[in-house]
Amino acid sequence: MTNSQTNQPEERRSLGAALNALLVETRSVMPAAGSTGLSLVLVIAAMCFLASLALGAALSVADVTSGWTRDLSGAITIEIKPSDAMTPEAQMSAALKLLNSTEGIVSARPLSKADITALLEPWLGQGNVTDDLPLPNLIDVRIDPISPPDLNILAQNLATAVPNGEVDTHRQWQSELLRAARTAEWLAYAVLIVITSTMVAIITFATRAGLSANKEVVEVLHLTGARDRFIAAEVQRHFLHLGFRGGLLGLLLSIATFLLLGAQDGAANMFLVPTYGLKPEYYPALICVPLAAALVAVMTARVTVLRTLHRLL
Amino acid sequence: MIRFENVGMRYGMGPEVLRDVSFHLAPGSFHFLTGPSGAGKTSLLKLMFMASRPSRGLITMFGRDISTLKRAELPDIRRRVGVVFQEFRLLDHLTTYENIALPLKVQGRSEASYKADVQELLAWVGLGKRMQARPPTLSGGEKQRAAIARAVVAQPDLLLADEPTGNVDPEMGRRLLHLFMELNRLGTSILIATHDHALVEEAGAPELMIKSGRLTIRD
Repeated sequence: MTNSQTNQPEERRSLGAALNALLVETRSVMPAAGSTGLSLVLVIAAMCFLASLALGAALSVADVTSGWTRDLSGAITIEIKPSDAMTPEAQMSAALKLLNSTEGIVSARPLSKADITALLEPWLGQGNVTDDLPLPNLIDVRIDPISPPDLNILAQNLATAVPNGEVDTHRQWQSELLRAARTAEWLAYAVLIVITSTMVAIITFATRAGLSANKEVVEVLHLTGARDRFIAAEVQRHFLHLGFRGGLLGLLLSIATFLLLGAQDGAANMFLVPTYGLKPEYYPALICVPLAAALVAVMTARVTVLRTLHRLL
Repeated sequence: MIRFENVGMRYGMGPEVLRDVSFHLAPGSFHFLTGPSGAGKTSLLKLMFMASRPSRGLITMFGRDISTLKRAELPDIRRRVGVVFQEFRLLDHLTTYENIALPLKVQGRSEASYKADVQELLAWVGLGKRMQARPPTLSGGEKQRAAIARAVVAQPDLLLADEPTGNVDPEMGRRLLHLFMELNRLGTSILIATHDHALVEEAGAPELMIKSGRLTIRD
């Protein structure tokens, strides 16, 4: 038989074999996990897709909450209800005088009638805010976040200078929103932990199954003088490839999903997740997912092989 | 180099398959191991390549009592022993070339350092054109030659061969015997388990005869 004849079966590769070579084959001395190879890549891809979504959601929510914290903690609202003791104009000018003389206040801007009507329209409907509806006057106050004024003293001074004048610090609204957002953020991290643990369990199972199916190979390797370290290195290289390839596949799917969410714009508005998908600066962080998947796969496989070999032989 | 003293062996709670086996293989020696099927030849070889442990007695290999060897020390001893298994035990997912290079690869050597030697050995055992073939596509004789090439490629101090000429024609059998003798001249101790009396007579080497688990030596 000639050399070319011998090599023919190696050269003629079907599409399935080519796909297998791309996704599963690792040229390891330990046989590729056989039929479990491709399914394992797909499972890791699915895990990494979910992990990327969770990480993207956690990053977006963290970004949104820090934005809210920045915006809300830098602003307060002065609410002045109508009073018999003073005209609305006198109330407004007394309040502005007090605010302008208080240290730590950057600006104080009275809201016009049109602004207040616009704020109420979502609740009352357009054109339903009539002129005879008694409305409070509002002043939008920006405070210096580095050296803010003492809001308790400001509230006391305001109550003295302006009848029915109140300071709204948005604190209740802010803390409730933040609590909800933080819960969503921690939930996303918890999902990441669950996904990682599941991946560890799956890879441990696959490694044990692989070793058990290839006992004969392990024995021949031992008898030819291989150390456990060598066998572990061969097995972990196999799982490094599977982990990284699966991770990359999951990452690509998740990037496509985020881009799709971004393209959908308002239609894709989800709970706390911004409508524009993932901010461009967060995409590089997603690269951590396939790297982490490969690392988790390698470490799990190594520990499992060394433990199993020690117990088996 | 290899010393057995009153060694006994049994599988689980079964009867002893080897009883009071004592012998010594000196460095550079050449021995045959003969005996009827089921007499205990393969069990004796298993003790020598440390795939099994004795139930009693003392085995010393390369000056080390194997009962005191730590698990991590076994590979160093095993690397000094080349084994031709009766059932070949080639790895089906590797090519013939990769199978033969395996003992060198597990030692951590780079492929560049052994590629030419492995190819030369493959050509010598008549597998030069079957380098990229995988074991399932090899004939019985080709598998046997590949198994022998794998056992000798790392130039071990001791070569153990279980029926190494069982699947080859007499001409190839003689070639393989000359390979073993050549290795022996270079300093490798050889122990060949065989039923082939022609081979024993041609080599004229001492014989360890085993019958019903007991061993006698014929010089």
